[in-house]
Amino acid sequence: MLHGGPFARWLPKLRKKSCSQAVSRLAGGARVPAVAKQPVTEKSGVVVRVRDVSKSYGNGAVRTQVLKKVSLDVSEGEFVALVGQSGSGKSTLLNIIGGLDQPDSGEVEVLGLDTTRASERKKAAQRNSSIGFVFQAFNLLDHLSCLGNVTIPAAFAHGAKDVEQRGLEALRRVGLADLAHRRPNELSGGQKQRVAIARALFGSPRLLLCDEPTGSLDSDTGRGVIEFFQELNSRDKVTLLIVTHERRVSSAAGRVVAMRDGEIIDATEEVLTSQAGPA
Amino acid sequence: MMPVGQMTKMVVSNTLRSPKHFVLSAFGIVIGIAAFVFFMSLTSKVGMVLEKIFPLEQVQVVAPRAQFLGKDMSKKLDDAIVEQIRKRPEVAGALPRMSLTFPAYGRGDFEGQDLKFEVGGFADGVDPAHIGTDPALKSLFKDWDEAEKGKRVACVPPPNPLDDEDAPAQSAPAPDVPEVPAAPSAGWGAPAATGSGSASGSGSAIGSGSATGSGSATGSGSATGSGSATGSASVAAAPAKTPYVNPCPNPDRYYCDESDRTCHHRVPVVVSPTLLELYNGQFAKSHGLPIIDQDLAKFIVERGGLSRMRFTIGLGQTIVAGSNAGIDKSKMRRVEAALIGISPAAMPIGMTVPIEYIRRWNREFRGEEAATAYSSIIVTLRSKDRLAVFGQWLQDDLDLRLEDSLGERFATVILVIQVLFLVISVIIIVISAINIAHNFFMQITERRRELGILRAVGATQSDVRLVIIGEAAIIGIVGGGLGVLVAVGAGALLDYASAHFVPNFPFKPKTWFDFKTWIWMSGIGLSTVFCIVGGYLPARKAAKLEPAAALTQS
Repeated sequence: MLHGGPFARWLPKLRKKSCSQAVSRLAGGARVPAVAKQPVTEKSGVVVRVRDVSKSYGNGAVRTQVLKKVSLDVSEGEFVALVGQSGSGKSTLLNIIGGLDQPDSGEVEVLGLDTTRASERKKAAQRNSSIGFVFQAFNLLDHLSCLGNVTIPAAFAHGAKDVEQRGLEALRRVGLADLAHRRPNELSGGQKQRVAIARALFGSPRLLLCDEPTGSLDSDTGRGVIEFFQELNSRDKVTLLIVTHERRVSSAAGRVVAMRDGEIIDATEEVLTSQAGPA
Repeated sequence: MMPVGQMTKMVVSNTLRSPKHFVLSAFGIVIGIAAFVFFMSLTSKVGMVLEKIFPLEQVQVVAPRAQFLGKDMSKKLDDAIVEQIRKRPEVAGALPRMSLTFPAYGRGDFEGQDLKFEVGGFADGVDPAHIGTDPALKSLFKDWDEAEKGKRVACVPPPNPLDDEDAPAQSAPAPDVPEVPAAPSAGWGAPAATGSGSASGSGSAIGSGSATGSGSATGSGSATGSGSATGSASVAAAPAKTPYVNPCPNPDRYYCDESDRTCHHRVPVVVSPTLLELYNGQFAKSHGLPIIDQDLAKFIVERGGLSRMRFTIGLGQTIVAGSNAGIDKSKMRRVEAALIGISPAAMPIGMTVPIEYIRRWNREFRGEEAATAYSSIIVTLRSKDRLAVFGQWLQDDLDLRLEDSLGERFATVILVIQVLFLVISVIIIVISAINIAHNFFMQITERRRELGILRAVGATQSDVRLVIIGEAAIIGIVGGGLGVLVAVGAGALLDYASAHFVPNFPFKPKTWFDFKTWIWMSGIGLSTVFCIVGGYLPARKAAKLEPAAALTQS
């Protein structure tokens, strides 16, 4: 069993992890077998596992420590809100989890992939097929239509089928199927964000990472987006990790993780009430 | 790596959405490739024309000059050496040449002008088999004296000019009324006796058409051109001032030889395209003579046939005073020759006749040694590239050397010009590549967010790099293609100008350009490669962008 089966190719890597004692920390101090059959996060139902992650920007004297030995677990199907004031490091943590940035130290495992050691190609493949991103600034490509934006991940996937059909379905889910051939600059802010969500959903991701998804939206539109996320989480069991400093978003989340000055702190009422925006 | 089809689609889409960037980047490439294709095609064509005039695969083998106590000790080029050369694998053919080894000079009337030219030193003989493929030329260029030996018709030759010293020097005869050489004032020893020869001895060879003589007035009145030799004696006594009439049948090609008093076919003479070029380019202009087109046959027909191209060769005669002092005067005689065409096998500057004529004349005037020694051997190589091997063998095994050829010098000049233009074109293309790199660096700064989005949705670093390089390659391909079109257009304009404003001249090509496939393919290839090189560093930079940092661009 140890030398065969679908997980056989993981064995060397997991042996290495065992040596670094990373796996034992995940298990709350308990020793884990020297040879694991599958990634720890997958086995334990944890889709995001962050351990002692540090990150700083700048050089020399102007170097700023953004994350200080942050550890975090997110289980499959969770809806987690990452809250904190500007500069607390929450967006940086989200980017590191999504493989868009690299930590200076620590370990990150997402959906069974050790992103601190995985090749660029594997991380890109994971972003393409298993992770969806939604940004505050929408980040749509202005020269493409809504459908083109939604289906852009297919350009980097081998053997993608029914691309247009799936793109239209994603747009239909966010209520924008009629605007499929419009350009982003012809849409309102709310519509743009829905197109961005449709793009994030195009690959049927298991993990959705959102960075201030309602930050540029008016109250009603923002509420609609939050409700959509809630539905997505409850119905499709998509794991959600949302960076926000809006109370209404954190209120909708199943768990709130608070950050301050690059560290995770207890999500006290004081912290939550300091958040901006409507409740 | 992303699927090729998707990448192509993305690259094309990105290129089309930014026409300004495309134009800015491609402009230099278009100019550079246009210059490259234009100059390469031009020099290639000019090289081909020159190669036609001066065949490059033909080399001349000569024996190095060696003297001892004033005696020529040079190695003798004979039939054995010719055979040895012919057996070499790199040799396609070897053509022995034999020079006239004693003084002679020609004289003829051409377009109303009395032309004189030295023949000794400017005449040689080649095997008729090597004269070319033109059937008309091949049928005429042969050893007629040998072929018609024993079949010749007796005739009355023109009177000896010595008999009438006061005869007019040159009265233009009717085309079929032949013309004894201009009455000489001093008999055979005098330059005027057999006529002709400008000092250059070359251009005039062509022009010596009609005049073996100028119909000395002491003609043989009754000889009406029937070819019969009868009555010739009385003809000789006929009253002066009556034009001599060629008694030979087919007087357009035959003349009455004074040495054996029979009708001989005129000695067929060919000249080289080089000589024709020199005549047209310099001699014709300075002497007010007509330009001769490459179609010499047409030129001859327009002037009344071969008899208008005839001239006399005085064997043993010279216009260089004293140079024939060693010649036995009793051997001096006249023969008639006719220019029958142009052949690359002819000696570049001078006239060429079937080799057996030269062999007989050399034997007659200089003895057996001169009749068996060749002056040079023209070797046609299977390829120009085999020249070095052949030259080395020649030197090592036969102690012979290759003569410097005019063609080789022209080829060198053309090569230098070609390299010069190539360097200029490449400099333009390199500058364009730098410009492309600059444009792409700017573009990448502008497109940071876009590149970040692509990375976020699954593009790898190599995907981003390939997309940017692909965009640069498209500029290269399209820019290169446009450059080729510009070059072809400019070439068409130049050809039009050449056809309408440049006077015709022999070997003037209908087009000055040879847009060979490899030239325009190289143009497009070069432009693509340089654009890719120009786009590589920006692409590398784009690929190394951290997606998170790229996405935060405002």
